[in-house]
Amino acid sequence: MTGKSSNEKPVDSVGQSVIRVGTLERLAGNAIFCADIKLPDMAFLVAVRSQSHHALIKSVNYDKALDSQGCLGVFTSRHIPGKNRFGIINKDQFLLAEEKVRCIGDPIALVAGETLLAAQRAARLVEITYQELPTVFNPEEALRVDAPKIHESGNLLGRRLVRKGNPEEAFRISDVVVERYYETGHVEHCYIEPDAGVAFVDENGVLTIFASTQNPHYDLKDVCDLLNLEETKVRIIQSPTGGGFGSKLDLNTQGFTGLAAWHLKRPVKMVYTREEAFLCTSKRHPLRIWYKTGASKDGRLLAADVRIVGDTGAYASYGMAVVTRSAVHATGPYEIPNVNIESTFAYTNHPMAGAMRGFGVPQIAFAHESQMDLLAQALNMSPVEIRLRNSLRVGSHTATGQQLQASVGIAKTIESVKPYHDKAKSNPPVLKSHHKYGVGIASMFYGIGNTGVQNPSTAQIELNRDGSITLFSGAADIGQGSSTVLAQIAAQDLNLEPGMINLVIADTGKTTSAGATSASRQTYISGNAVLEATGKLKEVLLTHAANKLKTSRNTVGLRAGFAFENGNHDHKVSFGELASIMTRTGTPLKWQGFFDPDTTPLDPQTGAGKPYATFAFASHVAEVIVDTYTGEVEVVRIVAAHDVGKAINPENVRGQIYGGVVMGLGFALMEEYIAGKTESLKDYHIPTCADVPEIIPIIVEDHEPSGPFGAKGVGEPALIPTAPAILNAISDALGSRIYKLPASLERVLAASILSRES
Amino acid sequence: MTDIHKEPMESVSITFQLNAETVTLSVDPSESALIVLRDRLGLTGTKEGCGIGECGACSIIVDGKAVNSCLTLAPQLDGRNVMTVEGLSDTPLGQSLQKAFAETGSVQCGFCAPGILMSSCALLLSNPEPTREQAIEAISGNLCRCAGYVQVLGAIQKASRISSINDSQD
Repeated sequence: MTGKSSNEKPVDSVGQSVIRVGTLERLAGNAIFCADIKLPDMAFLVAVRSQSHHALIKSVNYDKALDSQGCLGVFTSRHIPGKNRFGIINKDQFLLAEEKVRCIGDPIALVAGETLLAAQRAARLVEITYQELPTVFNPEEALRVDAPKIHESGNLLGRRLVRKGNPEEAFRISDVVVERYYETGHVEHCYIEPDAGVAFVDENGVLTIFASTQNPHYDLKDVCDLLNLEETKVRIIQSPTGGGFGSKLDLNTQGFTGLAAWHLKRPVKMVYTREEAFLCTSKRHPLRIWYKTGASKDGRLLAADVRIVGDTGAYASYGMAVVTRSAVHATGPYEIPNVNIESTFAYTNHPMAGAMRGFGVPQIAFAHESQMDLLAQALNMSPVEIRLRNSLRVGSHTATGQQLQASVGIAKTIESVKPYHDKAKSNPPVLKSHHKYGVGIASMFYGIGNTGVQNPSTAQIELNRDGSITLFSGAADIGQGSSTVLAQIAAQDLNLEPGMINLVIADTGKTTSAGATSASRQTYISGNAVLEATGKLKEVLLTHAANKLKTSRNTVGLRAGFAFENGNHDHKVSFGELASIMTRTGTPLKWQGFFDPDTTPLDPQTGAGKPYATFAFASHVAEVIVDTYTGEVEVVRIVAAHDVGKAINPENVRGQIYGGVVMGLGFALMEEYIAGKTESLKDYHIPTCADVPEIIPIIVEDHEPSGPFGAKGVGEPALIPTAPAILNAISDALGSRIYKLPASLERVLAASILSRES
Repeated sequence: MTDIHKEPMESVSITFQLNAETVTLSVDPSESALIVLRDRLGLTGTKEGCGIGECGACSIIVDGKAVNSCLTLAPQLDGRNVMTVEGLSDTPLGQSLQKAFAETGSVQCGFCAPGILMSSCALLLSNPEPTREQAIEAISGNLCRCAGYVQVLGAIQKASRISSINDSQD
């Protein structure tokens, strides 16, 4: 047998840095984001929002507003035809407030105008009177019996327990015990595109909603319930979405535009100002973390006792997912035989906190990685060594008792960054005496997909009559690149160039649910759904090709839109001809794929179970220079090693790492949303280009057998180790530690004064 | 935010070069250049991210310099030469930048991309071979939340090389 001819070589789509779908139109200014949509007769919407933290609404008077020039209507909760409740997990949000408001920014009325100016003018004429209620902003106080009740059911959002072994006994025999308290604040997602949407009723009477969203199929469900419409009467189309990071998982404009378009029977548009996006979209949960760790003198972790209290604000949003995820990930990527973890979240009158890149893991990683360094210090061990000694490996059991079967790349990520760490430690730069140099390391693990619940994805692949291929997926690409990756996966399986795959994405009129673009799940879960669909299409293509080519099925190959006989590539049949044959013979041209990761629910008392089918792992090393006079921290370099299973698109993976590291740097040093004070970008600063250190991304590929071509995920992991690595580096520089994020100038200065005094 | 549609109290007539075409229109003196571009002229490639000059998503080039169009009043465009992202593809430098941005993976969500492109273009117009520090300074007024700036800096270097090669061939 001769070697394979060039025609038989695989096209190799997976592993190539294919240019991201949608790039060229974005660079030409042609991508139509929601704010760019113009429709004839379009009305404009403005929400009237609560100015009280907690109050009964005594009256809403909008007569003057209705009389104002260009006002087309004012809607309140009375105008909602369906059930005025929504929310991804807990249905505790109101599209428009009923008897009371629970935080500043709660929507009370929705005003439509011929122009935006007319809507804004009318909105100012809506008169609301309140009867103020007592408030509570501290989640621990909110859980006391005498606290003001924010919801009828009380202020407890939820609690998650994870218990294993005998922590009490393990602490007793520990040679060293470290116990500390950590705190993190509210963080704003700060995607550059403020929330926006457009809605209209189409010629078939279907309410069509364009949305900047991470989950159009969830939006569909809640909009239908709000408006009391059948799912066939509503269509959600994801417009190009200017970033999300979790906040665009919530219903932001979709309910408003839907309600107004349905009443007015004309197109409507709503665009949040930056101030509105800051005021009333979700935030990262602030966590209070009490963390106690015990270890033996040779550096083995024996026990962890962790208590987490979270502030979900006025509504749950994704809070329950953060309750659980923070508990399940509280050990970090280490094997600890005895754990006692309790995570409790409360409602307060703060702004709603919800999903934000990492679902509580960035916060808890700050705590567990600080603990690891403190233990290393107490044991006189290297921070690298203590992590390697305890890192999870194949066969390890996590805190929930899940035994890891494969693709446990944590040690590889630590080993990948170790040379940079050790070199930096042994060659510190020569600096002025008030400049202190420090090096820090931090690691993380992150479960791919939703925690211990079914979270399937579906996809369809269709052979068109002209031989082209169309991939249908409900997965919202918000810039992270899922469309590109899914096309690459389909292309690899069908042995085509990915550019030959047409894409129909995130349109509830044309695609089925892929679940949320969250939990770093689309590559792994939707990628597998795509593979199941292409697998089915491939089967029938091969069967019909074998028939046509009069050869046996196992000698037929596919390449670039043809099926051919192996070793005789001129003997071939095009996909177009196969499509004709399949149509004539009644063979379906469109095939569906489904994938739901293998998980089990967690035991309510012990947390035991298999929350995720697979985990991503990562380790970062940070080098910093701290100015002890000003408190300024310059991050010089971040080395970021990520075990992604398989990089379907390496440049995309690096892009996620760069973006995640920079967001992590903001979380570490500068970002703190202060409810009631922070208004806009003038007082909330995210990293600019001038803040960015040298970033060295390292891709580790520890093949995941259940992943599409071995892939897992990277979106959230990219952010998680950065802040703890920077904080550990600051501590290394100063000799004293900061326990509250962000490490602002004041906190760094305080820490440096403290270290001078000691 | 745009889509304001002011009912003008008074108006002034302005004439300027926009992406190599001459445009004349009457504007409210208090209207921003951003509103005129997006709402009156339908050039929605220029984005609004904050309305207060903090994010740079609305950057355009006026007489060779990058400016925030949300802070520029429309009458200030009178007599000027204006380029928006829509005009980029018509210039060799613009094409080089677009190609370099695409190849380096600089675009994720892409909402900030038009603004960063315009700032980068203004830089390379005045300084065809910038240092890394000069590139950082040029785009430090443009916020990007997805991509972390690293690939963009690579794109600027790449485009400056392509441009200088093209220049030397002219």
